[in-house]
Amino acid sequence: MYVQDLLNGLTSAGIYILIALGLTLILGIVGIVQMAHGEMYMVGAYVVYLFSMSMGLPYFAALVISIILVGCLGIVVERLFLRRFRGDVEGAIICTTAFILVLQTAVKGIAGPSYKDIASPVEGVVEVFGARLSWEEIVIILVSAVLVVALLVSIKWTKPGQAMMAISEDLVGATLQGINVDRLSSIAMFIGCGLAAAAGGLIGATFSLEPFMGGFALTQGITVIILGGLGSVPGAIIGGLILGLIDGLLTPQVSPTIASIVGLVIVILILLFRPKGLLGYE
Amino acid sequence: MLLELIDVTIHYDTAEAVSGVSLVVEEGSVVGIIGSNGAGKSTLLRAISGLVRPTSGDILFDGKRINDLKPHEIVKLGVVQVPEDHRHFPHMSVMANLRLGAYLRKDKVEVQADLDNIFEHFPKLKARRNQKAGTLSGGELEMLVIGRGLMAKPRLLLLDEPSLGLSPIIIDELGQVIADINRQGVTVLLVEQNAGLVTEVTNRGYVLEVGKVVLEGNINELMSNQSVQRAFIGG
Amino acid sequence: MNSRLYKAIGWLTLLVILCLVPLFMKQNYVLHVLITIGVGVVLANSLRFVFLTGQLSLGHGAMVSLGAYFSSLTVMNLGLSFWLALPLAGVFAMIVSFFTGYLFTRLKGFYFAMVTMFLTMVVQLVAEQWRGLTGGVGGLTNIPPPNAIGALGFDSKADFYYLMLAIAVISLLIMYLLEFSRLGLTLTSVRDSEALAASVGVNTRFYKVLAFGLGGFFAGVVGSFYCHYYSAVSPSSFTFMLSIDVLVFMVVGGRHRFVGPILGAVVLTVIPELGRGMKEYEPFIYAAVLLLIIVFLPRGLISLPEQVRILLRRGTSPSERAASAITRGSHRA
Repeated sequence: MYVQDLLNGLTSAGIYILIALGLTLILGIVGIVQMAHGEMYMVGAYVVYLFSMSMGLPYFAALVISIILVGCLGIVVERLFLRRFRGDVEGAIICTTAFILVLQTAVKGIAGPSYKDIASPVEGVVEVFGARLSWEEIVIILVSAVLVVALLVSIKWTKPGQAMMAISEDLVGATLQGINVDRLSSIAMFIGCGLAAAAGGLIGATFSLEPFMGGFALTQGITVIILGGLGSVPGAIIGGLILGLIDGLLTPQVSPTIASIVGLVIVILILLFRPKGLLGYE
Repeated sequence: MLLELIDVTIHYDTAEAVSGVSLVVEEGSVVGIIGSNGAGKSTLLRAISGLVRPTSGDILFDGKRINDLKPHEIVKLGVVQVPEDHRHFPHMSVMANLRLGAYLRKDKVEVQADLDNIFEHFPKLKARRNQKAGTLSGGELEMLVIGRGLMAKPRLLLLDEPSLGLSPIIIDELGQVIADINRQGVTVLLVEQNAGLVTEVTNRGYVLEVGKVVLEGNINELMSNQSVQRAFIGG
Repeated sequence: MNSRLYKAIGWLTLLVILCLVPLFMKQNYVLHVLITIGVGVVLANSLRFVFLTGQLSLGHGAMVSLGAYFSSLTVMNLGLSFWLALPLAGVFAMIVSFFTGYLFTRLKGFYFAMVTMFLTMVVQLVAEQWRGLTGGVGGLTNIPPPNAIGALGFDSKADFYYLMLAIAVISLLIMYLLEFSRLGLTLTSVRDSEALAASVGVNTRFYKVLAFGLGGFFAGVVGSFYCHYYSAVSPSSFTFMLSIDVLVFMVVGGRHRFVGPILGAVVLTVIPELGRGMKEYEPFIYAAVLLLIIVFLPRGLISLPEQVRILLRRGTSPSERAASAITRGSHRA
């Protein structure tokens, strides 16, 4: 029965990690807190709904389209607005908060305030080590694992990936190597928003969509990156795993709310001793 | 003339950091800029690299005005800065740091050859190539950031106080390295407070005081000048 | 000297007018909007007080919430007089601010903003879960109005209006005097150059915590007023969006000037009230206003005359801005 809880926890962890990775990348490279990250997640889910339910495309095709479209939306936002707020904490928070309102109102106006459901791409349950796991959950775990590994590999082995790491470590130093910081900010926004869209599209197959679903994503994402260390990619992964497993393992024992309180208490304790999070640099 | 600054004035916020500086760097030479803390030396280098924009005046590289170019476009022209404080990427490996120097280069084979060349020059870096750069000593770090600068295949290398915090023995070694680099055809503009290093490697120099060039000329003549000696003690 | 005198006369005239408003404006609606503005003004200015040391706090929502719960619980459960609960709510929020500030002021920039935002989330969650004390998600209702005092019986909106006016005037006066005292000078020196301030023997951490704590005090007082005014309080009253609204007041008005947040709170409370007819798209318009101001008037509405003057002289080139963005980024923590 613990296997069951563990797998449930991994499902949450997958979603949390996808959200947190985007937040942390954008923080490290674009140099701002993306408050509208939850809305990218929400828009991502709605785009999947649009293409799979309204236009009849296969779920996975809709998911890929959603990742690309929301990623491009991220680029547009970065080019037009975020670029000028690098390092300006107040300006960046206000600017991205304005986008929360814009995206929520737009989606509410277009799709309506009511709940929407995306049909599950795969039905049924499988038995794994005596645990009954729905295919939906397996899809979430697999897709998020693939995306995380792809991201890690491209950070380590591609030039833009290395350039991103350099920017997040030392902006001026990176600029002096000939790295075009603006271009990489766009790329980081594309990846970050794309990952948020992936998380939204994946969650959309299990839960209903509504225009205000992004708040939860932002809250969880911020908790994860504070836990793991702001701007740290491995930190986002470890933080997401911890929070997801707390969700999975504690929720059946106690209540979801107690589980989230335990999560917060753990974060606070870590902040007491390591104010920059588990893997944040001092 | 490889680099020419004509009457360059730079403001930080509203304060004037550099006022009306003119200087020339001939191809193949090593030129020094000497001055105490806050004289505007680093600001000058930041302007050449495009990190700050001069309020007035011209910066010419190879006869072309580069004032309005972005930092990466300036690097592409071959103007490469090795920043002060041995500024590096501490959580990335030595190898990754060096490869970032070659970020704009597409000639993979030559990049690999240059990398081998640098490892040959700095065997300590080779031994530590998979370590995180943050674990290196001050001297090793300076070799790393200079090596990283060389990986960009510079025509003009800007060195910002490379001797900062290094022991006299290492500074001697550094002088050798700079001379070597110059012999391979790279022009060097060296900003320093350390009089020894400057006299060792440069031919010509400029003395900067509160944002102005107060003296220029042959380095040995400069060094015997009283106000220069004062400037160094002041630093 | 003269301009100072004119300013003082101007402010006093405004105060007299504000005192007379209830005599002429009998509509509760107008008074309610004015009270809302008052809440916004005190919160935005207290946020700016924290910001004097260069730290952006998103923990203001938490402090308002703590003040509100403290006040309503002590009045309802312990029978404390409102007039005692109000300042004590401020003190309570201040103590919590000191403690959390001590932990968090090691962090800078976005890090500080994020952990304080996290603080707001934690307080909201605790308020939702501690049902026995806080009433859970439903919150507390039937919170009594303040005890009658003198002519104020608190059976009309006008009485609450005068209370808010008094709180606002006293708070602003205290913050003004503090900002332009030696203390204020020290606080801004911490913001301008922490290294420099530290080198002349200023304990920068102490002053950051102090500013954070004092800001928390005013937030707590406003929280106390808030719950007795609405006679109800619930966790959803004080989400991190409240922190952000307050931040918006401060920045849109002008974060570099004392009157900035006042202006911001007035303008941004009135604009949505004017646009009530287009309820559907109200957030859209609000967002558009925010984006326009933050992009074209980064120093806030207060800088409008100055900006117009500069624009008339010469336009700033985009490249200049890009260059300054890079320099700014280098100061990042």
